[in-house]
Amino acid sequence: MGDPTFDEGRYLYCVVETEDDAELSENGIDGEPISILVRDGLGAVVQPCDSPFDSDDLETVREWLVTHQSVIDAAGEAFGTPLPFRFDTILKGDDDAVREWLADQSEMLDSHLDQLAGHWEYRVGVTWDEERVRDELRAEDEELADLRERIDDASEGTAFLLEKQYDNRLHDLREARKDGLTTRLRDELDPLVAEFDVVDSKGGVLESDETEEVVQVSFLAHEDREEEIGRVLDDVAAEPGVEIRFTGPWPPYSFAPELDA
Amino acid sequence: MKPTKDDHAVVDLLDVILRDGVILQADVIITIADVPLVGLSLRAALAGMSTMTDYGYFEEWDAAQRQLARMPDDHPLLPNDE
Repeated sequence: MGDPTFDEGRYLYCVVETEDDAELSENGIDGEPISILVRDGLGAVVQPCDSPFDSDDLETVREWLVTHQSVIDAAGEAFGTPLPFRFDTILKGDDDAVREWLADQSEMLDSHLDQLAGHWEYRVGVTWDEERVRDELRAEDEELADLRERIDDASEGTAFLLEKQYDNRLHDLREARKDGLTTRLRDELDPLVAEFDVVDSKGGVLESDETEEVVQVSFLAHEDREEEIGRVLDDVAAEPGVEIRFTGPWPPYSFAPELDA
Repeated sequence: MKPTKDDHAVVDLLDVILRDGVILQADVIITIADVPLVGLSLRAALAGMSTMTDYGYFEEWDAAQRQLARMPDDHPLLPNDE
């Protein structure tokens, strides 16, 4: 099984709602021109290709992904919330084949676009002052205070074991505080968002450096809710030592459906 | 606060862009062995970086090689070249 080649294909960025003769000035991957193929009020944002975009050089992949995102972003700004396809989704055939696919699947594509209309993905990352958090936990937890006292009075061997207990207790309290923060975000954002996800921050392979964010969440929300969401986040960020990074609006990548079409 | 979309934010989003998005399961798309494409080299590179290090495959492989090297030539686990 080698590198798959095909005579003609169309790399599919996204599908948007649009009338005839739509255009985007954005360039596609590797500087290739992109076009919008329209049928039945649906536009497929595509670029011609004859092989998948494939490389083991992650820097190249990063560039492709940034382009993928900026094309979909431009489409979203011009035509409203897009249905963003996964990187390297390639339809077989030429422009007409894509238009045919749009016509075949118009009902399904329309229903997903209607559902997502006006909704975007937003992401929130929370960092906190680690020293401050530990100091606060030490100050407020009786068990830690008790352990500290026993460590001070204990022999060397016992003290070593008690230190372990102390560290475990501190670790558990820190985790509990993290969970509390996640729950608070979930509860307070719940009435404002359509979907909510806690992000596993260890999952990434392309991020340049380790994140210091203790909680990361993503959610799908209507653009009209942006201000209210901002106020909720302001409240959370008002706690001493807590900082919040709020990004978006992004195309709804994490909340995109799987299409059997 | 208002959401931002600066370059830094985009970089943080790259893993999401690679992993997520609408997945199309259909005859109309190009696939390798019925799996929707993400190029093979790319998939291997990613698997190498995440899965293999996550699960400690390199460590296991390394340990296995070391153990093999220590085995006598007639070890029952080694192929018999009669």
